[in-house]
Order: sequence, then C-alpha cells, then structure tokens
Amino acid sequence: MFKKILIANRGEIAVRIIKACQEMDITAVAVYSDADRSSLHVQTADEAVYVGAAPAKESYLNIDRIIQAGKDTGSEAIHPGYGFLAENAEFVQRCEQENIVFIGPNSKAMKLVGDKIRSRQTMEKAGIPIIPGMKSALKDISKYKSEAEKIGYPVMIKASAGGGGKGMRIVYKEADLKPALEAGKREAKAAFGNDSVYLEKYIEEPRHIEFQVLADNFGNTVHIFERECSIQRRHQKIVEESPSPALETELREKMGAIARKVINVTGYNNAGTVEFLLDKDKKFYFLEVNARLQVEHPVTELISGIDLVHQQIEIAAGQKLAFKQKELQQKGHAIECRIYAEDPTNNFLPSPGKILFLKEPAGPGVRHDCGIHSDCDVPVYYDPILAKLIVWAADRDKACRRMKKALDDYVVLGIKTNIGFLKDVIAHPLFKAGKTTTDFIKDNLPDWHPPEKPQSLKELALAVAAFNSQDTNKQRRGYEAEPKETFSPWNKLGKWSIGGGK
Amino acid sequence: MDYEFIIDGDLHEISLNKKDEQFYISLGEESKRADIRGISDNVVSLLTGGRSYCIYLASDKKQCHIRINGHNFMVEELSDEAEVFAGEEQDSQEDALFIKAPMPGKVIKIDVKEKQAVRKNQTLAVVEAMKMENEIKSSIEGQVKKINAAPGDLVDPDMILIELEKQ
Repeated sequence: MFKKILIANRGEIAVRIIKACQEMDITAVAVYSDADRSSLHVQTADEAVYVGAAPAKESYLNIDRIIQAGKDTGSEAIHPGYGFLAENAEFVQRCEQENIVFIGPNSKAMKLVGDKIRSRQTMEKAGIPIIPGMKSALKDISKYKSEAEKIGYPVMIKASAGGGGKGMRIVYKEADLKPALEAGKREAKAAFGNDSVYLEKYIEEPRHIEFQVLADNFGNTVHIFERECSIQRRHQKIVEESPSPALETELREKMGAIARKVINVTGYNNAGTVEFLLDKDKKFYFLEVNARLQVEHPVTELISGIDLVHQQIEIAAGQKLAFKQKELQQKGHAIECRIYAEDPTNNFLPSPGKILFLKEPAGPGVRHDCGIHSDCDVPVYYDPILAKLIVWAADRDKACRRMKKALDDYVVLGIKTNIGFLKDVIAHPLFKAGKTTTDFIKDNLPDWHPPEKPQSLKELALAVAAFNSQDTNKQRRGYEAEPKETFSPWNKLGKWSIGGGK
Repeated sequence: MDYEFIIDGDLHEISLNKKDEQFYISLGEESKRADIRGISDNVVSLLTGGRSYCIYLASDKKQCHIRINGHNFMVEELSDEAEVFAGEEQDSQEDALFIKAPMPGKVIKIDVKEKQAVRKNQTLAVVEAMKMENEIKSSIEGQVKKINAAPGDLVDPDMILIELEKQ
C-alpha cells in the first residue's frame, strides 16, 4: 500500500479524499493556490504544497507544478478528484512516465472514452445500444425520409455545425419532416453559416441514469448499481439518488451488465461511471463513460456500504477486487443535493464571497461532504460547489423527508446558495412521485422564487436584529472575559436601560 | 429601544424593551413577550408563546443575515445611506448608465469602445466567475462615455465597468 498520496484538487472532494487517506494510514498531501491558503483542504491535510497563482491554469491545472509537488514530497500516487486534471490523458501519461501512480484509469482507456466518435464506434461494434442516428449529413433532402424511418419517429433534426439548440427541430411524423428540415436548414445557415443537418432519435422524457463501476487491474469488474441524476440545471446535475425510481430488477440487471461490458471493451480500470439515457418506454442508450470519481459517488457508497475512494486507492495499489457482483446489494435509499454558491432567483449566477457563518446539518443517516467553514472565502476562480448533502433512509419517502429536514437545518449566512431551491425540488409532488426527467426544472420550477416567508418569523427576525444591535453595541465578544458563574450578556448591557429610547 | 430596519426591502419599526428578564417586542399596536438569550456569537435562542426558536445570525458591513426555521432574512439598520438606497427610481436610472459587474469575477472581454453608440440589449462586456461566462447587456440606447475596465481585470459588483450616456 502507498505511504503517501498527493491530492491534486481543492474543495469538498479534496477534503473527502484526504480523510480517506488518513483512515488508511496514508499521508495526505494537499496542493493549494494563492486563493486557497486558508481553505479547508489545506487545514485537513498532513502536508501542503503551494503550486501557484489563483487562476486554475497556473496552479491546479498546471501539470508541471503538480508533478513537481508530487516528486518533492515523495508521493507515490496522485488522486485527481474530479474536474481539473482528472480526465486529462496527458497528465495521466506524465504520471506514468514519472513513476507516480495515477489513481484512475490508464491513459489509453481514458483517451478512448474521452473521444466521443471513437467511443461511439467502439460501442456500436460491441452491440451496446447507442442513440440511433445518421453518421453524417446528406445533400439530397429526399433521402432523409428513409433515414427517419430507419431511426424511427420521433426524430430530432440537429445542425452539423451546431450547438445551443439552434437548428434543432423535433419531428413526430413523416408529413412534418420536409418543412421541418427546411426550417432547420435555414436556422442552421443563419446561426452557423452552414446548413447541413442530420437526424438523430429523439429521446422523449429522458432520464439520466448512470452505473457506478469498479475494475481492478486483473480484468475483474463489478457495477455498484445505478444513480439517477435527472434533476439538472444548465445541464449540470444538482440532485442524485439511488435506486432510480424508474428501474426494476430486470432492467437494472440488464443495464448493469451492459455497463460492465462497456468497461471491458474499453480496457478501463479503476472507478468509472457509465452514463445512459432512459426513455419513457424504458429503452436505454449509452451516452458516455465518465473516467473519474463522480461528484455524486456518496449516493452509491450509502446504498452499497462500499467506500469508493478506498477502493480506488486499493485498485491503484495493485490489489484485486475483494468482492464479486453477486455479493453486492442495494440497501435502502440515498439522495444527494449539491450545495452551490449561486443565486437560484437569477439564472443560477455564481455567488462568491465570504461565508459569515456555517452550521452543518447532522443526525442519523445524514452525511455532509464539505469544503467550507465559518469565516471562509469562496473564491471566484473555481467551480461554485460548496458541499454535498447526502441522506440515507430505509425507503425513498423517508429519504425525502430526511433530506427536507437536513436542508432546513443547513445554515449558510453571508452568500447566496441554492438550499431554498433544493428544498422546493425535493418537496415537489412530481419529485415525490419519482417523475424525474432531465426537463424537470425547466418544466416545473421555471423562474423560481423563494416561498412567502411567514409574517411571524419576519417579526422575530426584526426582534433578533434589535437584540443584536443592543448586544453588538455592548461588544458582545467582550463577555468571554467574564467569570463563568456570572455569565450573562445582560450584565454587560451597560448604559442600556429599561424602557430606554421611549 | 426603538429601531427602524429594512427587512427584505421593506421598512419596519420595532421596539424591543426589557423588563424582569423578559423582552417585549412591539410592532405597531401589538406587543409580545419573549425570553431571548444569546447562546454564542451567531446563535440566539428565543422563547415566545410557548414556542422555541433557534435563530442564526451574522453581520457584515451592510446588513445582518438571519435564518429562522429554514427562512433567510436580510435586515439592515436604517441609515442615511440606506435611505438613498430606498430612492429606487433615481437608482434604476443610474444603474442603466453605470454598468457594473453582476458578480465578482474576471473581465473576459469588452465589446465596445468609448464614444461608440449602443443599442438596447447589446452586449457590452463579458465577465467570468466560477467557470461561468456572463454577458453584460445595455438596458438603454445611448453612447459609451467611459470604459474603466480591461480584459483580465478582476472586478467587484460595486465597480463601474462602463459608463454610458443618453444621446
């Protein structure tokens, strides 16, 4: 086993990995930029190395600096976390050259799964279901009719040069195809100066379902069941859960087996995630492999009892998987909410700044993976994720109740967060009913605003503000010097008098 | 003692008075009794009408952030500065002329030059924070009077990036 591991990341994920190392008696080395000298991951680590200026390019994304920090500290392995260098094949190669173990997949597999076209071809050859579609645009518009039939309606017209929804059209029946193609071409021409369009199967009411996989260096693979991550804003997940309310045992086993096959055909090792789209008829399609530890990995840990970071480290150290597929089971229900520094009333704009006060929720079945503390700064340079709140309970309904309570108990003062928004997602009748699709937020919570605050609480807020200004005026912090037995802030109120000011 | 506070944008008057270890909270005609204790710098326990409230609070330069039962409140003491702030009409006009960053971040590009005429909704600059780019658009028709920022600058929401003038 390794004696020392460098964690090439920051924030909650760095803290989570550092703690795993310490549990395994491995010395944990943090790296930090100018913006992070006082950050929690530096405080938590056994050693810490400065790697550069605040912009990520000059620190957390600087391969030379990270490798040098690894060499200087005698680290035998590097854990990249997620984001930054986690899926950078060049970095993995550098680690391989420098004889530092990269805790993640080998560079060849990473390159393959990172290349959308090559991985799609690989999957198609292996008989893994992918979203049916044309491989390229055609000149002759009349030929699209037979292509559409081959794919099966509804189909989506997409611009070859495109992105951002421009030129996209959904066609449900043959009669609508020609006018939609013409309109799509016009729109594509106007947006991209190129009118070529192609057809792809339109997935109705899609759910985002992914399977956690582990593969050791000896060809043994297991999947640790699914996570449903359909609740997204700006194409980024904010709520994840396991099990998915949409899967039954048979479909779960089928998708799990395909996920393992994806890992086998790509020569992938360590922890990874195979993403699928599931349509309303419960047909599923391979999307991509995420070649890293996922943000939402705790959901899987809580339902399976398997610590994925420990597993990653053991696999990277050359150990064999200690369990087989048939020994694994999903127990209870887990939900994760991602806590972001952002303003849900203003297009989820990031909201960096100073956290004046933090109180973490806690209790049975409540886990909080956290990168912040009271009086810390949330820098503008990095992703606005602050922490992850994960709950476990015996079933989905109980897990939702536990999450709601934990969000209520979660106090972040000083910056805007999405906590209030998440509460309304969890409490939404369609969420409770398990009717979660990737359009959930757009369809059900557009232009969200916080619910009306009870007048009685507003009055209490005013009372406490008044209390606080009386108290602050008398230098609240000073009363710590008082002997304990006479401790009372009211003894310190000084020139304040009963009925004063009236 | 009497206080004037702006809470979530509205002005309220409140008086809080202590008698025999109890506080009396009066808003308008109504008055209620409460037992209020400071537990720590950021935690206050308040008992009233048989109910117990654990209230969290923290102050920055401008205001006091308060959380009660899962609801957040922003309370500001009424001061001269706050009164100016309340004069909204004049303010929104000025907002339109003085273009500020929507959040702390880095200027990615400035899309206009001084003296240039701008249309409503024209993109003036792009500011990035936390891996997200945000276009800042003009809400008026006018002309660029002055540019105070350049690509690469780190900016605060209080900083005026671009000054516009009406033609």
